[in-house]
Amino acid sequence: MASLIACPHCGPRPKEEFTVRGDAGIARPVPDAGEDAWYAYVYLRDNPRGRHKEHWHHTSGCRRWLVVERDTMTHAIYAVSDAGTQDASTRGETA
Amino acid sequence: MVDFALHHRPALADAKSGSFGAPSTGKRITLAALPEGHVLQVLAARESGDLQSLIPRIGDGTHHAVRPYGPGQWFVIGDAPLSAAEIFAKTPLLDGKASISDQGHGRVRIGISGWAVETVLAKGTAVDLAISNFPVGHSAMTLIGHISALITRAGTESFELLVLRGFAESLWDELVQMSLEFGVDAHTGK
Repeated sequence: MASLIACPHCGPRPKEEFTVRGDAGIARPVPDAGEDAWYAYVYLRDNPRGRHKEHWHHTSGCRRWLVVERDTMTHAIYAVSDAGTQDASTRGETA
Repeated sequence: MVDFALHHRPALADAKSGSFGAPSTGKRITLAALPEGHVLQVLAARESGDLQSLIPRIGDGTHHAVRPYGPGQWFVIGDAPLSAAEIFAKTPLLDGKASISDQGHGRVRIGISGWAVETVLAKGTAVDLAISNFPVGHSAMTLIGHISALITRAGTESFELLVLRGFAESLWDELVQMSLEFGVDAHTGK
């Protein structure tokens, strides 16, 4: 993991100020989606190699949730944006 | 009604006080426990737009009373203690666009100043504190070592740190340690 994340609100900060949540591409199922869908949503995760979007929380800074697009192999960070500016599908919400 | 009176004890009352480190030079650092007046946390309501010009209404009008630390989040700080009623009376000034939470019990201020103050703080934080990037009045919430603190530049050679009360003495000790090479005078106000 690269040591600096460029927070869109605070500027570049060391990764120690952030908390990682995980994959930002997972959509929350509807309440009655069934056991399999909920099991997958809660427990099943890929372990991707390469470009990946993740939720990171700027815990010791602005306390905003961010979407960090990074490469899990090279540690390069491609883009950081506020999770609130993403569309509903990448926020992990359903309409 | 309360059954017994609560005694206010300053968070840094028992902290290290005196002069430490290198013998006197022109570069000494001064640490000061600042008055525990009021600390109000202001949070903007959703979709309330830019409130930057609205927030100073609840401040005491002094420099750096309003300290932004994230989108729609501010600390409003002053030396005067405020009663619950006085804080409640400030709420209408925000036109319902933001809410106020009293954090006077939860966070305290430390003043740090001196010729080498940027060098001292740079030992603990990754924020670029150069005056060109961090002008007087600018604030940033960050980590100093492992302790979260809001850094505000109060002058060309002085900063104020707003830190959680329970971490204040620990941060104070670390600041003394970080300042030893320049010599430090620590005033807890006892």
